[in-house]
Amino acid sequence: MLEPDLSVYAPIVDRPKMQWPENARVALWVAPNVEYVDYIPAPNDGKGGFFRQVHTRTPSPDVAQFGNHDYGNRVCFWRMLEVFDHHNVKCTISLNEAVLQQFPEIVDAMVKRDYDFMSHGIYNNRFLNLLSIEEERAFFQDCKETLKRYTGKELKGMLTPAVSPSANTHDLMAEAGLIYNADWGHDDQPFPMKVKSGRLISMPYNLDLNDGTFNRFGLPPEYWAQCVKDQFDVMYAEGADNAKQLCLSLHPALIGHPSRIKYLDEVLGYMLSHEGVWQTTADEMAEYYMANYYDSMVSHLEKTSYA
Amino acid sequence: MPHDRTYGYDMPYYDWSPISTRPLLQWPHQERVALSILLSIDHYQWKPTNTFNNGGMPGSLPSTAYKSPQAPGGVSGSGRPFPDVIAFGQREYGPRVGVFRVMKLLDKYGIKPTIAIDAMSAENYPYLVNLFKDRGCEFVAHGIASNQMITSLMSPEEERDYILRSLEAITKATGDSPRGWMGPEFGESERTTAILADEGLDYVCDWPNDDQPHPMKTPTGDLYSLPVNLTLQDLKSHWYARIHIDTYAKMITDSFDVLYKEGSTNGRTLVLNFHPWLMGTGFRSKYLDMVLGHISKHQGVWNASTGEIIDYCRTQ
Repeated sequence: MLEPDLSVYAPIVDRPKMQWPENARVALWVAPNVEYVDYIPAPNDGKGGFFRQVHTRTPSPDVAQFGNHDYGNRVCFWRMLEVFDHHNVKCTISLNEAVLQQFPEIVDAMVKRDYDFMSHGIYNNRFLNLLSIEEERAFFQDCKETLKRYTGKELKGMLTPAVSPSANTHDLMAEAGLIYNADWGHDDQPFPMKVKSGRLISMPYNLDLNDGTFNRFGLPPEYWAQCVKDQFDVMYAEGADNAKQLCLSLHPALIGHPSRIKYLDEVLGYMLSHEGVWQTTADEMAEYYMANYYDSMVSHLEKTSYA
Repeated sequence: MPHDRTYGYDMPYYDWSPISTRPLLQWPHQERVALSILLSIDHYQWKPTNTFNNGGMPGSLPSTAYKSPQAPGGVSGSGRPFPDVIAFGQREYGPRVGVFRVMKLLDKYGIKPTIAIDAMSAENYPYLVNLFKDRGCEFVAHGIASNQMITSLMSPEEERDYILRSLEAITKATGDSPRGWMGPEFGESERTTAILADEGLDYVCDWPNDDQPHPMKTPTGDLYSLPVNLTLQDLKSHWYARIHIDTYAKMITDSFDVLYKEGSTNGRTLVLNFHPWLMGTGFRSKYLDMVLGHISKHQGVWNASTGEIIDYCRTQ
């Protein structure tokens, strides 16, 4: 048994093939991370979670870092929306849910556009994997209820805060009625995860082509655009035979920056100019997968042993 | 062994030999370049028992022997408590998806790779082991897991156990004893080469010091070094150093052109080490295609397994 034993190994060339609605080759989901990071994060008290050290340059506060995040919500988010509106994109917002309570104009703008919401926890700097099971169970209830109260939507899935699932996370997600977890960048397709009860799939979010990854390594935006287009070309070619998904993972403060915004326009224009692209959300893909492929994939995995 | 400022090295395993004065190397059919594509089939261990010095933060693991500052994971690598789900997911993409994209490209150009496989992959991915066996690929032993690296902090017993555990798992899974060794992150202590010779290994790919193979001598036996081109390794230049993928691809084709030219008078090896979890991702695979396409346009390239290159060198 290979740890963490949360999903089964299955080579993509030896699984039932997938098709998207209307035979689309690629499902494109656009996932901006709308986040909030505290001005002064609470100290680590050994209880109630361990805080990601976001201020690495000075002791908190680091107003340059705080301000740059804040620029995302005050300005860059709105610039980004213009580009999405221009291309008729329906986003999957990876959402720090504190934003729902803090910034109502952002909530209105997202709700008005009928975006879907993949919870990204309450704040991005609280790790899940050091919570007790009771604390984590309460966390999922909070995420569900807060989303419902402010957007009217049911919570379907999550990218855990700072990508930090615990050993209990998958079971607790299924228990809370979520149907997907986006933490695993392990595949080009959704895939069933093992849970004690209920059903949960992996919806692979892309940390490799993430604008945050490119920014962290000082890689220029035109290079990002080229990599995204190259990625699309390969998924599009392969998707004719076996459907693929492409996740465009973004941060308003980065891709919505004046120096980068035109590249968002460029890659969306490029991808959406192709026939056979299903511009969808993680929620819609997950529901489609549950309705059409979950059972057949699980039964395939039961009949076939790759280990 | 402190350096005493005399001729040659403060290192016992091979002799000083500049390429300008050594006998010319001719490949079996006067090829200019012997090419091995060495694919690393490596497993990123979820919770390595003794890998990282992670500073005693919550969720931390004991600080012990084998630590690679470069391999991600744990608090030391990413600022996250262990385990590092991001790194794990990206690397698990290799056996699930990436390896098949890489194999399809190698098939397109008729290139047979050599497979550097670690113990955990050999034990847990029999589907892949069979796929490579069916194609007649040679297996090189690649340690236990990508985040367990040999270093001189290991005790001699720990180190020999590590090597034996790797060799046994790979022998059991593939049905053959591996003849070659490449440690994760090319990790060696000052003892490793001698232990490898003592355990019957025929060649080692940890020393990226040359464009040609060369003999090595140890108190416990002789073996060969087959140098990997480290600068052209996907992990080093593209992943860790973040050289753009198009520039990285050009570095490989430019290097090939130089070796091809030099190989007309003195044969060269080009051992390219790729990781399917990396070069098998969608956008990167396009550039792997270009690299293989460029090389395949040339006559006089011997596509050999690493063991075939060593076998030939032993006859010279």
